Amino acid sequence: MISQSIQAIPLSQYNARIRNAVAVAPDLQGQWVLAETSDVSVRRGHCYLELVEKQADTGVTVAKVGAVIWANTFASLNARFQAVTGANFGTGMKVMVRVNANFHEQYGLKLVVTDINPEFTIGDMERQRREILTRLQREGLIERNRQLPWPTVPQRIAVVSAAGAAGYGDFMNQLRNNPYGLQFYTCLFQAMMQGANTVPSVLAALQRIEEVIDLFDCVVIIRGGGATTDLNSFDNYELARRIAEFAKPVIVGIGHERDVTVLDYVAAMRVKTPTAAAEWLIGRGSDALSHLNELRHAIVTTARDLVTRSREQLAYYTSFIPAAARRIVDTGRLRLDNLTQAIPQAVSNRLASEHTRLGHTVELMQNAIAGHIERQQLRLAALTDKVTLLSPQNTLSRGYALVKRGERCVTDAAHLGTGEHIVIQMRDGSVNAQVN
Amino acid sequence: MEEITYTQAINELEELVKKMQAPDCSIDNLSQYTKRSKELLDLCRRRLTTTDTELKNILEGMTD
Repeated sequence: MISQSIQAIPLSQYNARIRNAVAVAPDLQGQWVLAETSDVSVRRGHCYLELVEKQADTGVTVAKVGAVIWANTFASLNARFQAVTGANFGTGMKVMVRVNANFHEQYGLKLVVTDINPEFTIGDMERQRREILTRLQREGLIERNRQLPWPTVPQRIAVVSAAGAAGYGDFMNQLRNNPYGLQFYTCLFQAMMQGANTVPSVLAALQRIEEVIDLFDCVVIIRGGGATTDLNSFDNYELARRIAEFAKPVIVGIGHERDVTVLDYVAAMRVKTPTAAAEWLIGRGSDALSHLNELRHAIVTTARDLVTRSREQLAYYTSFIPAAARRIVDTGRLRLDNLTQAIPQAVSNRLASEHTRLGHTVELMQNAIAGHIERQQLRLAALTDKVTLLSPQNTLSRGYALVKRGERCVTDAAHLGTGEHIVIQMRDGSVNAQVN
Repeated sequence: MEEITYTQAINELEELVKKMQAPDCSIDNLSQYTKRSKELLDLCRRRLTTTDTELKNILEGMTD
């Protein structure tokens, strides 16, 4: 009953009306729109996504609509987007897109993206990157990993990469086939290096490395090979902070010829490609080998010089000593000759002088003896005179007489008694007498 | 001898070279110095170019 009085149309008809209304509404077609991408996925070349708008301060979604980029436009749009931004068109990007509203009776409303302005996205990425860098700077993290000491030759390397990636293969080949015979010890910690799970996956790999950190000299984070260069996910604060604070130096080789990510600012070493990472490590090793060669050369040269110098010194002494000895012998001989000549001369001089001295002495002695004799003769003569003068005979001659009793002379008259017999001796004889 | 690190070995080598190049270096010390430097040079070179099988095995065992 009711259905007969009310005019109703099938849903398909109604939806067809919406489709037509949407299709002809001039401000819904060819309109540039600012939005954020979400749930981006590519199927059979078509790119399906959600366009959302979030409140800047709360992050609450205030608008949302499904969108698609048909394969025929997506290929060229994405190529241009990549070329300008260095990133694949993907989830979580601020985009400026030109859209046509399209309503399908069966599938509902969908925005068909016909153009993308990559300049807008790059501006936004740049702003994000600057914000992250400013924050890291403020937190004193930018230089931290770079300031870690490197071992002279990093040989034990924890590699974060995707196992099958061409970049990982390049890195390993380069290390293995280094022309210096350098040994490297690598251990792969697998991570997804592209797509939405890149950051948690790399963070998890770094966590696994940290658990065995003493086994390694450094960490190498590499990816690449092929055409995919989706660097956007590496412009991430959490990841940058983890690398900055890592206990060992980190080499980042996720690069892009032209662009850099925040990781390049915090890693101890930034290289463009995995191959360059390997070359850098090999370079350190070959520098060390060169240094060893220089040291060896210095040691050999120095030792040789020292031996040569000592040998020269020895040679000098070898030639010097006989000459010196000869000189000493010659000098001695000369002295001996001089002495040989000098001694007889000295002896004869000495003898002559002694002779003279002796002659002199003899003369002195003769003189002394003669003097003595003379003196004794004079003395004797005087004595003789005295004796002659004092002799009894002489006295007797002069008229004196000697009185003797026996053989003894009597000099005092008192000594004679009366009647005593005495002898009186005179010059020509003696007479006996008796005292009266 | 084997316990010292590469960096320690290099430092000792440089010290030895300095000693040998000093004007008062005696030839009496020469053979001792050269012997030690050879040991250290060999050690360093070995560290860089000879496979440490034990370490290699440990790390290979850990690879994801």
